[in-house]
Amino acid sequence: MDTADLSHHISRRFNEDLERLRNKVLTMGGFVEQQLQKAVTALVDGDSRLGEAVAMDDYKVNNMEVTIDEECSRLLATRNPTAGDLRLIVAIIKTATDLERIGDEGEKIGYIASRLASMERPADKYREVKHLGRQVSEMVHAALDAFARLDARAALAVAREDESIDEEYEAIQRQCITFMMEDPRTIRRALDVMWLVRALERIGDHAKNICEYVIYMVHGKDVRHTALEDVEKELRTKDAQ
Amino acid sequence: MSAAWSFAIVRLLGLISVAVLGGMIWGRPVLWLAAVLGAYLLLQLINLYRLGRWLRMRSLVDPPDVGGVWGEVVAQVVRLHRRKRFHKQRMIKLFRELRRSTAAMPDGVVVLAADNEILWFNRTAARLLDLRRKADLHIRIDNLIRAPDFVRYLDEGDHSVPVTVRWPAGGPLFLSMQLIPYGAGQQLVLVRDVTRQTTLEAMRRDFVANASHELRSPLTVVSGYLQSLSDTIAEDSSADRLWEGPVQEMRRQTERMTEIINDLLELSKLESADIEAGEDEVDVAGMLSLLRKEVLSLERRPQEFTLRLDSESRLLGNEAEIHSAFSNLIANAVKYTPPEGRIDVRWWSDAEGGHFSVRDTGIGIAAEHIPRLTERFYRVDPGRARRQGGSGLGLAIVRHALQRHGGRLQIESTDGQGSTFTCHFPRRRVVDPERGVATAVS
Repeated sequence: MDTADLSHHISRRFNEDLERLRNKVLTMGGFVEQQLQKAVTALVDGDSRLGEAVAMDDYKVNNMEVTIDEECSRLLATRNPTAGDLRLIVAIIKTATDLERIGDEGEKIGYIASRLASMERPADKYREVKHLGRQVSEMVHAALDAFARLDARAALAVAREDESIDEEYEAIQRQCITFMMEDPRTIRRALDVMWLVRALERIGDHAKNICEYVIYMVHGKDVRHTALEDVEKELRTKDAQ
Repeated sequence: MSAAWSFAIVRLLGLISVAVLGGMIWGRPVLWLAAVLGAYLLLQLINLYRLGRWLRMRSLVDPPDVGGVWGEVVAQVVRLHRRKRFHKQRMIKLFRELRRSTAAMPDGVVVLAADNEILWFNRTAARLLDLRRKADLHIRIDNLIRAPDFVRYLDEGDHSVPVTVRWPAGGPLFLSMQLIPYGAGQQLVLVRDVTRQTTLEAMRRDFVANASHELRSPLTVVSGYLQSLSDTIAEDSSADRLWEGPVQEMRRQTERMTEIINDLLELSKLESADIEAGEDEVDVAGMLSLLRKEVLSLERRPQEFTLRLDSESRLLGNEAEIHSAFSNLIANAVKYTPPEGRIDVRWWSDAEGGHFSVRDTGIGIAAEHIPRLTERFYRVDPGRARRQGGSGLGLAIVRHALQRHGGRLQIESTDGQGSTFTCHFPRRRVVDPERGVATAVS
């Protein structure tokens, strides 16, 4: 299915509604991306005001999710969509939920960042966390790009990145434990950092979920809880057909 | 009539006369005529068939070798065809040239249909915006460039000023994007890489802020010593009276320097903040009443100072910034209005938004100075400004504070008769007391 497929409905209104929904969810995605970026910047620059601003703005993400959900249920009720349209709406509902969760994690990062700003900064100036933050933002960005382009192949590639994020998360966790053992005075800060990287890791999982919805939307195949290798094999046979 | 046609008619007449002649000599003239005309018709049909066949398979078959009228038609078709091919090639060449030149442009260009669908983009746009050739056609641009500032810019009606976004969020590039409508509902997006300018601008701002900050502490020390020095001179009778004047002057100048540095710091704070100010509710009426009290307590002030509050509307914005804008405007009016003059301050709201105006009967400003008034350190009369004090940054602060609230400053003045400064705030930043939020901003 691609965007051209959306234009085959006899009812133009339905088309427009579907288009608008898609736009809304991507607009929400853009805002969430910005929130996440700001939160990571607040941490790295030690900017407590920016961190608080991110946390304060989370209500906007929540409002967006509510509007999208309402519109989706309205469309489901009035138009009884089938096949690709139904998949699109289901994917939109789920994507909105995951985006909202990403927003929540961003809020958490913002709070922790503003708290960490008042504490002494470690010698490495959160280099690892910054790296992980950048990786996660790129992943969210690529996932939403795949959603906009309905590109299942790209979505699969993004979903695979989640593994390296998990590895990075483990590495930072181990590092924090080492710090705490060396110098108990850093425990408080290290615990905060642990919460923070945990939030980033969760965001990576949500981005992966979005990619899975893209594959579901394009191929009509639910690939959750399936090994990515199998998914890839399946997609390849599908493309060959 | 061309030679071929005359020949064809003569030939037909000749054939008919041959048939008639044959009929008269050997009898049965009707049969003769029918046979000759039949043969003629057959010949024409054969020619028509050959022509038709050639037209169908023009690229494979050579033009039929027929004479007379038919030959003329074939030649005509060949000529027409050749001309068409020539024009087509010229168009293709022109189009290729055009595409090559736009592709080589240093700015990115994206052509959009009416519903923001991407129709075409050049190589620079593909590089800056990370668009993919062919794959990204017919996707809405705001689905791919999701930066909230850009999406808002697309939705808004006013596209005269480009918007600067960082996309992808947190990426290395700052892009300036401008929408230019053309033709029937089509639009062009110009994309420019302004990373260098933006970083330079940020460096300049940081420099001003840091320099002002560094200057402040030595200045505090100097003014502290000057204060105690002047106290000593006033109390101690043995002190040298000769120094009283110079010390007073030094104190005045250090005060002025402090004022300039404070204004510079405030200005750089305004500049470095986000584009839009926050949305706290600001009680304008209360703020103005306080400002009025401050003015009335001044020693040197115009005899009449009125405050008219025509609206209880509140403003959504940053209280400190709005306060500094309003107090700067009022302080200016007080400074440039003689004691016998008057100042009228008014706050009102209507369908367009909220408005705050300060009207004075002061010295006024000549028309040629008005456009440049809000520039930093711009002086209408350098000598007078030095006597009156002031940092020369007041109106620049006002302009920046208003910009951050989506508002604008309007200046009307007649030289020698007084001036009116009006701040206009957009409707979305005004909250009416009875109706709650006037327009929800999502």
